[in-house]
Amino acid sequence: MNPDREPDPELDLTISRVIAAPRQNVWDAWADPRNLEQWWIPAPAKCRVLDLELTPGGAFRTEMSTDGEDFQPHLDACILGVEDGRRIAFTTGLNGAWRPTVDGLVMTAVITMSDHPEGTSYEAIVMHANSAERDRHDKLGFEDGWGTAIRQLGELVG
Amino acid sequence: MILSLMAEYSQNLNALFQALGDPTRRGVIARLSRGPASVSDLAAPFEMALPSFMKHIRQLEQSGWISTRKTGRVRTCAIDADRFAEAQGWLESQRLVWEQRTDRLERFVTENKEKQ
Repeated sequence: MNPDREPDPELDLTISRVIAAPRQNVWDAWADPRNLEQWWIPAPAKCRVLDLELTPGGAFRTEMSTDGEDFQPHLDACILGVEDGRRIAFTTGLNGAWRPTVDGLVMTAVITMSDHPEGTSYEAIVMHANSAERDRHDKLGFEDGWGTAIRQLGELVG
Repeated sequence: MILSLMAEYSQNLNALFQALGDPTRRGVIARLSRGPASVSDLAAPFEMALPSFMKHIRQLEQSGWISTRKTGRVRTCAIDADRFAEAQGWLESQRLVWEQRTDRLERFVTENKEKQ
């Protein structure tokens, strides 16, 4: 893991937040599967954590259900690196059994928590491959000028 | 499987774009971007009979730009943030997913703290 690499604005996202709670609480919300289930997926859908093996090469698998009974696969990822209490990195470029993935949205996420005077400084860096998923989206009408109109509307909404 | 998903996705986007091809509907979306509003408030700036205006509202609703809810005699319209993100672009839709995920984490952690 090389956390010092510059993000690519075309492909990567950075979410930064100061959360008004101690770092240990934020870590526990991530690292305890029973906690993660409470916020990982938007309600009313239900989340079930199958694996959350916080060690390099560990499996990270979740399922979701819209009715609370019938669960479907949600995330099948591989843990890349863990720094206890501070950092979790995982990728969907390999599934939890290390099989390389090509379908769907392939990403690598690096979650970092550090102490902050008001609680915890929380950062999620999400990196995407220059993937078919992205190209597909772009082919569906973003070359013909609609993109500009929608961006302008986006500025109004944002 | 992938192809049928693509077709569905493409259809959704076509409906979104078609809905934007009219100044009245764009005006309605711009107004709703500042918050929900009733149909009569939305109609006020436009010199148009209410039935004609309602056609625009229905088209926006069918395309997924807005949702409407009727309470008594007032129909309130609101913009649909998920569809908006979808139309905005691939990376923006992922940003929304992660921002909302972080919102939920933040809520979970701070509400838990209050209980302790």
